Amino acid sequence: MWSDPPPTAVGTFCFFACTDAGIERLNALMDDPANDARPFPELQTEASRHQRDNYLRLRLTEAALETYPLDPADDPGFLRCEPWGLAKQMFAPHQLEIRRTGIDRIELRYGEWEAVRTVHLDGRTPPADVGPSRLGYSVGRFDGDTLVVETSGVAAGITWWDSRHSDQLKVVERFTRSEDGSTLHLTATLEDPWRLREAVVAKKIWRWAPDQQITPYDACEPATEFRKGTREP
Amino acid sequence: MKPLRTLCVVLPLLVLMSARATSHHAFSPVYDSKRTITVDGVVTEFRFVNPHAMMLMEVKNKAGKVETWNVEFAGRLNLEEAGWSAESIKPGERVKVTGNPTWKGSQRMAFVRMVRADGTTLEPGRAQRLNAIEEERRQRAAKRTQSQPTPGRGK
Repeated sequence: MWSDPPPTAVGTFCFFACTDAGIERLNALMDDPANDARPFPELQTEASRHQRDNYLRLRLTEAALETYPLDPADDPGFLRCEPWGLAKQMFAPHQLEIRRTGIDRIELRYGEWEAVRTVHLDGRTPPADVGPSRLGYSVGRFDGDTLVVETSGVAAGITWWDSRHSDQLKVVERFTRSEDGSTLHLTATLEDPWRLREAVVAKKIWRWAPDQQITPYDACEPATEFRKGTREP
Repeated sequence: MKPLRTLCVVLPLLVLMSARATSHHAFSPVYDSKRTITVDGVVTEFRFVNPHAMMLMEVKNKAGKVETWNVEFAGRLNLEEAGWSAESIKPGERVKVTGNPTWKGSQRMAFVRMVRADGTTLEPGRAQRLNAIEEERRQRAAKRTQSQPTPGRGK
C-alpha cells in the first residue's frame, strides 16, 4: 500500500499534485536566505500561485479560461457527493493500492472515494464503442520498471487544478518506484484539444505504507450550508 | 443566545496547515478560515468515518441552555495517517475545541485543535508534518551557510 508523501517540503507541496514549475519556484524560495524566517505555508502558497499563473493558466484554452478557476462551491463532490472523475481521482491524496488481479490486468485502488480503476496489460487498444465514463478506459504496459498507463474515454469533468476538461481528455501516467522502494513517483501528461493549448505535465509522490488500509467511504453528506466566492489564494 | 465562545484571529500557520487542503472538497464554502472560535463542552459522539470525521458535543450557552455543536474533521483516511483512531475522542470527555466557524454562524466548526480536561492536546497530523519541514529548512539553511566562502580566506 502507498499513502501520503514523506513529510518533506516538496512532498507536501505535491500532496495533491504539482508541476515542475511549482517545485522549482518552491526550491528557489527556500534557497533564498531572505525567506528563512517566513513560515513554510507562506512559501507553499507563493509557489502555488506561481504554478497557477505561470504554468497552468498559460496552457488553458479560451473556453477553459472562462470558468477557471472553478468556484469550490460548484464542486459536484461537495454539493452532491459525486465521486471524482479521472483528472482528479488519479492524484487523490492518501491510500493507493496497485494490485495485480490477473496475468494481464491490474487494479489501482484509491482510499479517496474507494475508487477502483482497471488497467488492461494484454496489448489491446481501447474498444471504439466504449462510451465516456468517470474514470475512462485504461490500457498499460511496463517500460522497464515503469508502469505506463494510457487512459481515454473519460467523461467531461474537473481537473485537479479546478478547471473543466472535455470528453476528449487523454492521459498518460508513468509510475516509477524509487531505488530504495520507499516512494512511488507519478508523472502524468494530460492532453485535451478543447481545454488545453498544450499538455499539462503533473507530478505526485506516495510513500510506502504497508500498515495503511483503505477504510469504507460511506458517510458523505451533500452540502447543506455554504457560500460562493470563498476560494483561498 | 450566544454560546460561550471566544472569537480570535487565526495564526496563519493554523489556517494553512488545517485539514482542508487534503479533504475531498474545499472547506472554504462552509467555514471562514480567517477566524477561530473556541467552545467548551462534553463529547456525545465521535464518528470516525470518511470522507469527514464528525463529533457532536453539548455546550452550555451564556443563558445556561445546552446546545449541540457539530465539529467537522478531515476524514478517517487522513486522520489514521496521523495516528488517530476511533478511540482518540471518547463520549463523555470534557473538551475545549477550537475551530473555524461557519460563514452563517451556525453551531458547527471545522476542527483546528482540542484541549482535554487533563491539559493534553489533540491536533491534526499537519502539525507533525510542518515540524519535519521546518527541520528540513533549518538543515538546508545551515548547508547554505557552510558552503559560502569564508571572508578573507584564500583566493
